[in-house]
Amino acid sequence: MTAPPDYAVTLEWEDGRTADLSVAGDETVLAAAEREGLGLPFGCLTGACATCTGQVVAGDLVHRREPRALKPRHLDAEYVLLCIAVPRSDCRVRVGAAIQRELVANPWK
Amino acid sequence: MSDADAPHDEHDDHAGHDHDHGDHAGPGYSTPQAAIEESEREQLAYVMGLYVGTDVDAPDFLGVVDVDPDSPTYCEIVDRVEMPNRGDELHHFGWNACSSSCHVEGLERQHLVIPGQRSSRIHVVDTKDRRNPEIIEVIEPEEVFEYDLSAPHTVHCIPDGEIMLSMLGDADGELPGGFLLLNDDFEIEGRWDPPGEVEMNYDFWYQPRQNVMISSEWAAPQTYYPGFDLDDVEAGKYGRKLHVWDWEEKEIRQTIDLGEEGMIPLEVRFLHSPVSTHGFVGAALSSNVFHFYEQDGEYHADKVIDVEPREHDDWDMPVPGLVTDLLVSMDDRYLFFSNWLHGDVRMYDVSDPANPRLADRIWAGGNFGPRNPIEGERDVFGGPQMLQLSLDGERLYWTTSLFSTWDEQFYPEEGKQGSVMLKADVNPRKGTMELDQEFMVDFGDLPAGPARAHEIRWPDGDCTSDVWM
Repeated sequence: MTAPPDYAVTLEWEDGRTADLSVAGDETVLAAAEREGLGLPFGCLTGACATCTGQVVAGDLVHRREPRALKPRHLDAEYVLLCIAVPRSDCRVRVGAAIQRELVANPWK
Repeated sequence: MSDADAPHDEHDDHAGHDHDHGDHAGPGYSTPQAAIEESEREQLAYVMGLYVGTDVDAPDFLGVVDVDPDSPTYCEIVDRVEMPNRGDELHHFGWNACSSSCHVEGLERQHLVIPGQRSSRIHVVDTKDRRNPEIIEVIEPEEVFEYDLSAPHTVHCIPDGEIMLSMLGDADGELPGGFLLLNDDFEIEGRWDPPGEVEMNYDFWYQPRQNVMISSEWAAPQTYYPGFDLDDVEAGKYGRKLHVWDWEEKEIRQTIDLGEEGMIPLEVRFLHSPVSTHGFVGAALSSNVFHFYEQDGEYHADKVIDVEPREHDDWDMPVPGLVTDLLVSMDDRYLFFSNWLHGDVRMYDVSDPANPRLADRIWAGGNFGPRNPIEGERDVFGGPQMLQLSLDGERLYWTTSLFSTWDEQFYPEEGKQGSVMLKADVNPRKGTMELDQEFMVDFGDLPAGPARAHEIRWPDGDCTSDVWM
């Protein structure tokens, strides 16, 4: 069996900072970021909590298991859970704690 | 009658009861009144500190806060016990033993059991050196998932040295939740309840002499973890029920649907007196407080306090109070609860628990309280949230964070600037409270960055942990 190829994943924070990662096709973006000590936010590591939410700007990522924390409207808007997301091409992803905040708003304000 | 005697309509079935208050060789106090009389003033507070869900690259921590006014480090976080991993969301925590085991010789209230709400990791911290506690044991999430449980919330020590945790989800963060038991060596013993006995779970309080436990409902972790979505309320994904358990048989004997006025019942507080069958639960979303009680062999729950939503110039809809925490004083005379979105903490006389009487309230932070409740000190964003009362009932403390993702929706500054811990001086004889202008613990000023702060506990037990046999 051949090893999956590595993909170039660019992380983009809200403050303009970026980082380039080499992510294997069987490795989650979060695991690769942790390996590089980049300090992305995360919580449950199973796809239930959305703490690690990113947003795909370009390229393809797939979830290894059901992304239970994301609703259809989030998936339509290209949000991904980096703890269970693996790349299928080179990609650019918006990351950092600010992305999770975009999922829900104050419903009364 | 002592202060701890039950207020009305209970009969004391102490006759023939095998719990002799003279036989006190273990942790805690023989009665709630003994806790008031024998305890020393709190000198240290243990407080949950959080970085989860922020860009601060640091783990959550157990904060040790100096609350001794005679100390040179008064109001300072004198130690931080960092968890070994990031991403936990430390939230609620509890002791390995309390007054329910006061008959167990050799057992001590020495270890804190600190779960990660998001990670499902469970930490055990030894507080033998109170100012310098240390982690001695970590139960990894994978071990918890083996029991098809996740999202640990409330920790109660139960009689004879075991520890019980409410678990809000299954291994996938879906329903059903349940209860997990640890033995006195801090190893997982198994599930306390039969799988599927309860669907939604949240907080619980047991009253062993009455052979009863009451549990409440939040939602599936996958529902509340990402934040609060009104669509989920409309889809029936949030709880509104209380479950009355047979404590010995470990099964639900009655479920009370609190209805539309009882949405998201969170903290459950029985009165401390072991002969009482009364208690209170706060329905967070409906912003109501319910009184529950036993009558003719059944439990009932009545709405006794209704917090009206308030108009706010910057909000499209009236602002709900959001009753997020409540506690009962050790003498069972007063109920305190927080309106996290409004920004006030209230004190009610509950000497007649069916008819609470507003005694006093304090405004600090929130959407209607002063942004600078302590003159000359930093801004306060979140309203009063997690409460803790001194055992003598004379000092009420609180922190201002609810839950990382929910903070982001309602008080985005809470994460950016960090939480505070505030204190009110309480006069239980007069039924009054006054904000202490000399007390503020700033969780915004820490080496790694601003932190949220959540639950508070005292080394010698407190009003939200101890249960009496």
